[in-house]
Amino acid sequence: MSFEPKILGIACNWCTYTGADLAGTTRLQYPQNLRVVRVMCSSRINPSFIFRAFQLGADGVLVGGCHPGDCHYNTGNLYARRRLAVTKKILEFAGLEPGRFRVEWISASEGNKFAEVVTEFTGQIKALGPQTKFKIS
Amino acid sequence: MAVSFQQIEEKLKTEARRLLESGQVSLVLAWGRGFDEKHPMPYVVKGASDVDGIVFNEFCTHNLARYLVRYPRGTKMAVAVKAADSRAVVQLIQEDKVKRHDLVILGIPVYGIKNPKTGEIIDGKTTCGLYNPVLYDILIAEEVHGQPVSSPYAVLAEYEAMDQDARFAFWKKELDRCIRCYACRKACPMCYCDPCFIDQNKPKWGEKSPETPGNLMYHLTRFHHLAGRCIDCGECSRACPVDIPLYLFHKKVAKECEEMFGQAAGMSIEDKPVLVNFRMEDSDKILE
Amino acid sequence: MLKKTAIHQLSDLTSALMGKGTLVAPVREDAGFNFREISDAKQVDLNFHNTIISPKSVFFPQTEDFIRYRTGRPLQEAETVEPEGKPLILFGVRPCDVKSFEIMDIHFSCTGAVDPYWQARREAATLIGYAFDVAAPAEPEEFYQTLGIGAADPEGSDIFMVRRGDDLILKSITGKGEALLAGIEGLAGASADDGKFFDDTVAAGRNFKTRFTCVDAKAITKKLEDLFHNTDFWEKASNACLSCGVCTFACPTCYCFDICDETLFGRGTRRRVWDACMFTDFTLEASGHNPRTKVYQRLRQKIGHKYSYHVRKYGVISCVGCGRCTRHCPVGIDIFSIVEEAMKA
Repeated sequence: MSFEPKILGIACNWCTYTGADLAGTTRLQYPQNLRVVRVMCSSRINPSFIFRAFQLGADGVLVGGCHPGDCHYNTGNLYARRRLAVTKKILEFAGLEPGRFRVEWISASEGNKFAEVVTEFTGQIKALGPQTKFKIS
Repeated sequence: MAVSFQQIEEKLKTEARRLLESGQVSLVLAWGRGFDEKHPMPYVVKGASDVDGIVFNEFCTHNLARYLVRYPRGTKMAVAVKAADSRAVVQLIQEDKVKRHDLVILGIPVYGIKNPKTGEIIDGKTTCGLYNPVLYDILIAEEVHGQPVSSPYAVLAEYEAMDQDARFAFWKKELDRCIRCYACRKACPMCYCDPCFIDQNKPKWGEKSPETPGNLMYHLTRFHHLAGRCIDCGECSRACPVDIPLYLFHKKVAKECEEMFGQAAGMSIEDKPVLVNFRMEDSDKILE
Repeated sequence: MLKKTAIHQLSDLTSALMGKGTLVAPVREDAGFNFREISDAKQVDLNFHNTIISPKSVFFPQTEDFIRYRTGRPLQEAETVEPEGKPLILFGVRPCDVKSFEIMDIHFSCTGAVDPYWQARREAATLIGYAFDVAAPAEPEEFYQTLGIGAADPEGSDIFMVRRGDDLILKSITGKGEALLAGIEGLAGASADDGKFFDDTVAAGRNFKTRFTCVDAKAITKKLEDLFHNTDFWEKASNACLSCGVCTFACPTCYCFDICDETLFGRGTRRRVWDACMFTDFTLEASGHNPRTKVYQRLRQKIGHKYSYHVRKYGVISCVGCGRCTRHCPVGIDIFSIVEEAMKA
């Protein structure tokens, strides 16, 4: 049986989550490995969620938010962009493979983009294999 | 050094006495005698009669900015600071933990402070590499110039060159040694949260026991909480009883923040800390 | 029984000891020495003064599992972790640390309730003590003589070792020690002269000077009680204190712990982990009230407990003068000097 990664997706309610819904209603096919958690805004994301997700066995974490400038709360994703950039640098310096954590801006109308990103990211994680470094055994 | 440690000590005493006697401050944060020459201690001077207890020598490594938040808001305080320590004061002012007008900053330019454990001179390899305070009211000695200039990030090259697996193995080995005594957190002037995230139960962010999972959550999160705030004084690493090189990771995060956001921590009281700020022109490239 | 071995043949001795049980001995690590379970006889290194963390972790580990459970299952299915009774040899313990075990016994087995985990390990352990070098001055942080402990006290050890030049003289002190020593092959017999050297060293150890002067425990107890409400004194004493936890974790006679349940993916352990009265939330109550929010209150508690309340309750100071607290304090606080200041106040 080939490796089926567990990927955590954290999607902001107004853009990415709605975009994901659009992908669904338009019957777009994409891998089923993504487990989505909805947050009201990408800036709600505490970096500790990401660290803990990898400890709990996530093979990949994908964060989706509104495009900068289009945040439903005006500025949330602008803080999130900075914060998650730091999170990424910390994970990399700690030795986690860079491809395992990704942040994408996906709007409510971008159902196609959602499906593409998830497909691409899932393929990337499959190629990287199971995440063992942070996973608590 | 042009000015000796002895001269700095005398000047500190003079200024402390003057500030206390005039009532300009109600306490002076300086260093005093410890159990031996190599271990001076942070010392709070509250009266002119205590001024003679002030000591300054090459082992005065402690970042006295750490003690500023211990006193009620509005307390008039004088604080003796070296270069990195002055940056901590600036950062605390940026974060509104202390008001500029409540402080008299006694800036001490000095090169030659030594790590009491190793006897080595402390320089940019383990701290910010600056020797002159960035903010002060009174300069206790002449500025120092002519020290070998090195980037505080030069020491990272070796670790940045490692591949992912080697680097992970390095950090796992270092962080597994942690006994969760929290000396690092308590020595840090920027760790003033009450309660600290790691002490919370609902939610429980990390395990209490000193094993890999809890240790990783504690340290990685702490590195994140200090992003753009750590002023690279190295106290956390000197406080650690098992010599974990925390300063390496803090330096890496500081370097990335400086490159991504164009600002170093604790340099100007007009700045806003990088993670509570944004610019529309921030590039998406930082997420790559 | 008196035996001898060359220091450069230490790995032969440690190898033989490994055959008799789990050997725990000092090992050189990045930051200093620590007691570790030995897997390679050559790891043992006696070129140390004292370890960073005290050997209390052998009998009272920093993390100790009690119960293993699975969530959603009946309580009866949870397993108790059985106390370990495997033979254990603790090698190279300094006299102050040997004494610390007796003080800790008070809490773990002598107050009515017996901690089976501590007790099992204590009974299964053979203690091989190791004298300090009486020819060299004491380290600046140490003060064990102040508390009546000699630099080469054999009491409390099952076997006691004294270094003589390039040799190690081993003397059995108890029946248990004699049995172990008799079972080690390849050890040379020691001469009468070695025996005299051993006794002379023990005597020299009793006169060995460390910092401070000898204490009157009762006087300290009373004075600290009298000073309880002298806030100025305690604030001054705690001005530099960071309120971390290093002193507590390094101390051989600190025994506070926290019980926590750590559960992940439906499997969990109820375990005990070291706690420290210096932590801000040590006395945080479920109501949200915390009687010790200020650093001076916590430092007063620490010193009061070790040098005053403990004496009232158990007749002995909860300290062996090993100096680790002072040595590892990030700001150089000298705990016993605070007691001395208190006596003068």
